[in-house]
Amino acid sequence: MEGLLQLLFNGLSVGAVYALFALGYTLVFSVLGVINFAHGAIFTLGAYFTYLLIGGAVGANGLLAGLQLPFALPFWLALPVAGMAAAAVALVVERIAFSPLRDRGSDPLLALITSLGAGVILVNLIQLLVGAESYSIPVGTLGSLPAALSIAGAKVRTVQVILLAIAGLLLAALSIWIDGSRSGKALQAVSEDPVTAQLLGINSGRMIQIAFGISGFLAGVAGGLVGLSVSIAGPYFGIGYGLKGLGVLVLGGLGSVPGAVLGGLIIGLAEACVPAELSGYKDAVSFGFLFLVLLIRPQGLLGRPQPNKV
Amino acid sequence: MDAGLLEQMLLGALLGLSVYLPLRCGQLSLATPGFFAIGGTVAALLSTRVPALAGSGSTYPITSVLLEMALAALLTGVLALGLGRVVLQLRGIYLAIATIALVEILRVVTLNLEFTGGALGIFGIPQPFDSAAGYAAFTLALLALICWLCDRLEKTRPGRAMAAIRDDELAAASQGINTADSKLLAFVLSALVAGITGVVAAHFLNSWNAKLGNFDASITTLAFVVFGGSRTWLGPVFGGLLLTALPELLRPVGDLRLIVFGAVILVGPLFFPQGVITPELFKTLKRIMRRPPTPAAQGERP
Amino acid sequence: MKRRLASSLAALISAAAALSACQGSDDQGPVNLSKGVPVGAVLALTGNANVYGQDQKIGIELALAALNGAGGVNGKPLALSIEDGGSAEPSANAAFTLQINRGMLALIGPTLSQQAFSADPIAQRRGVPVVAPSNTATGIPEIGHFISRVSAQSSVIAPLSIAKALQLNPSIRRAAVFYAQDDAYSTAETVIFQQALTAKGLKPVTVQRTQLNDQDFQSQITAALNQKPDLVVLSLQAMDGGNLIRQLRELGYRGAIVVGNGMNTPNIYPICQKYCDGILIAQAYSPELATPANQRFTAAFAAAQARNPKVSPIPPQLTAQAYTAMQVIGEALARLDRSQPLKSLSVSQARRALMDEILGGTYQTPLGEIRFTPEGEVIQKNFFVAQVRMNAGGKSGRFSLLP
Repeated sequence: MEGLLQLLFNGLSVGAVYALFALGYTLVFSVLGVINFAHGAIFTLGAYFTYLLIGGAVGANGLLAGLQLPFALPFWLALPVAGMAAAAVALVVERIAFSPLRDRGSDPLLALITSLGAGVILVNLIQLLVGAESYSIPVGTLGSLPAALSIAGAKVRTVQVILLAIAGLLLAALSIWIDGSRSGKALQAVSEDPVTAQLLGINSGRMIQIAFGISGFLAGVAGGLVGLSVSIAGPYFGIGYGLKGLGVLVLGGLGSVPGAVLGGLIIGLAEACVPAELSGYKDAVSFGFLFLVLLIRPQGLLGRPQPNKV
Repeated sequence: MDAGLLEQMLLGALLGLSVYLPLRCGQLSLATPGFFAIGGTVAALLSTRVPALAGSGSTYPITSVLLEMALAALLTGVLALGLGRVVLQLRGIYLAIATIALVEILRVVTLNLEFTGGALGIFGIPQPFDSAAGYAAFTLALLALICWLCDRLEKTRPGRAMAAIRDDELAAASQGINTADSKLLAFVLSALVAGITGVVAAHFLNSWNAKLGNFDASITTLAFVVFGGSRTWLGPVFGGLLLTALPELLRPVGDLRLIVFGAVILVGPLFFPQGVITPELFKTLKRIMRRPPTPAAQGERP
Repeated sequence: MKRRLASSLAALISAAAALSACQGSDDQGPVNLSKGVPVGAVLALTGNANVYGQDQKIGIELALAALNGAGGVNGKPLALSIEDGGSAEPSANAAFTLQINRGMLALIGPTLSQQAFSADPIAQRRGVPVVAPSNTATGIPEIGHFISRVSAQSSVIAPLSIAKALQLNPSIRRAAVFYAQDDAYSTAETVIFQQALTAKGLKPVTVQRTQLNDQDFQSQITAALNQKPDLVVLSLQAMDGGNLIRQLRELGYRGAIVVGNGMNTPNIYPICQKYCDGILIAQAYSPELATPANQRFTAAFAAAQARNPKVSPIPPQLTAQAYTAMQVIGEALARLDRSQPLKSLSVSQARRALMDEILGGTYQTPLGEIRFTPEGEVIQKNFFVAQVRMNAGGKSGRFSLLP
């Protein structure tokens, strides 16, 4: 029993991070039907913004060496502010890499490449400005919480529990907004059929911007939180999650917000179930799992069939 | 510009063609790096472990390279035939992600297998050519051959069937085109091109490891095609040549080079939504070249 | 339509031919000394190994300043050219070729062992001396005569820290081993660690594999802690290793931790913070080595970093090794120039003679005294075992040398 509980915690610990990453990723997909490859870079930015806002200083190797904000916010305040800054960057990315394509009615496939370009620019800009070194949010930022929780003999780090709780909260808030508000419903209409939505008087350009803004905010907050849990491993920090995030997205159902969280937890659990002797095959297990799900139920666990979007 | 860079550009062009073949049939398959990695591993294993292939001269015999290419083609072809039947039921982004999953599974398995050298890979791969120029000439011939085959394909019935599927799969099927077979053919051809490219790349790079076929490579090779254009085989060739060379050509701008590179792949599709090389571009060029008119125009088939 | 194909192919081929025609430098021509004595470096300044390349760049530039400050190559300054080799093989190959075509007399690099197996054969074929500052995989100097390294292999360093851990706590019985299975350094070093443990009668009770880019190790850690280890041995890089140590301690492990050479850098302090305290590390370089060469180096490093008081003034091992590589080349060039003036030699003669000079010398470096075997493997006199001591607050610390 203790082993099973530990397995569950291990899965949730990793899965919470995947879920957080995938939340914003899936929102843009639900509206545009394309993958935003710059999402990982915006996630990274969120982590750096959080680090700077809590009073961290830039290291030696970038153009901004030694930079430190004249104020320091508490973590709980820094996180949403960093999220908003990341949202602003996401809006700029939308403006440059997505909206011109939409204006011309281009093949959505192109957005894969333009967003990749935007991601490459962001990552290398980060390196140019603050260097390649890693940064971390100090241990103890959360006050006097214990480092790990022990429940019935099974252990989990407190910060992972917080990550999971916030992923759940964000999911709930997002669901309430989408299902319960006018703008949320308008967003759904745009994702169902942008042309009809336009005819119904919905400004789909505006809705797409809102989706990008929220997606950027989620990415920023996720970056800050993951940065709290593990160190910010340099400019490529978020890029590493891009591939796993893609898997999570498909597993949960492309464009499904609850699916993103469910997919994250399932992949996390699947990885945790790989025994130690086979731990080298961990990534193969999660992708093999994904592959099978695709063949059996291509729309993912909670997704609606969307055969024609690329 | 040196022959080594030229060789890398040519390999990029070949990989671009490999992504282009299924895309021409409307299939967004990103399995190219996987088959590329298989080809490279075949070459690395055969050339370092089979003494009979080494020959007696100071350089590794080209016949052995051709043999490796044949074996790699066989292996990737059979694999693609089997996998293609399964994955080609998927469309659009689902196919793309399924193929990415395959590439990733292959990478992890290669990493874990004892005989592929684990993380370090296989090194000390023998050289069939004394210099990069030799590689470049060989690869150029290979590229020319594959371009010629692609051109033939575009003109013949299976190729036209592929174009029809891309434009409208349902309409194509109702005209009696066997869409499943056409898509499978494109997928297998793509795997063959990637596999033999891997063989050349393994020799050229002197060493081979699991990292060379990964997610990043999937996306980069897709960029070759989208940037260059996916309507004619010249598109991916152009995209592969240019985008492989660009980070090297941008060295003079120092720290800014990858930022400029990112800007180019960001801006390219905005200005050239069909890719840089399109059939319309040829028509325009032809119009310019045709005054004074040439008799060649008569020979064109509809 | 046939015509179009033919003309396209012709255009392609002629363009390619034109490109390859303007290739190449003349290895038989004289050494170009107009801007100084040309030496090149190829480092991972971008891609996911970028942090190592940045550390190395600082070391090479400090060595250059020191060498040129002391008169360069008998009055002629060294002209250093650094190129980005990225973190993958093709980019390293391209940078190597570029540097060789520019007429560099010797090269420092590339950063990663996998890159070395791909790029070094190019230098070997062209007859260009390579001094590797950070390749620790088995088989690097064996690539050929022109390939040497100043980075000692794990096989000589790693066992020392195991011995020290057992000396400090003879009651250790159960060892758990972690390594990143997609990292060449890590997979090579863990073999050495496991052999050293087995030789002491401590066959590992568990071996956990991670990936280089992993950041959450909850699964591996809880699996290992189930085996109740009293010694944890890590072969990981700074980033993943630092995270693993932090999570290991947070999940309640209290026993000894021995880490490999990849974590011999102050870059770990901000990652594992107060949890770094007490870890044992085998070092190929100790900032606390009290020789004049090392004191000059650490002083220069501290001065260079002084503009940013937030940064550790203690140099990492990668920086020291890169400094050493540059110093070896600089001193060998000076000796060569005294016996055979560089201006009298062709590029290829100078490279050949320089290789012999590099292998023949003895060098007083920040790493201590070093020499080379005839194959180009480093013979290093001093290795160290240090224990991390974190300051109160857990923001910075030092590698305190153990006797």
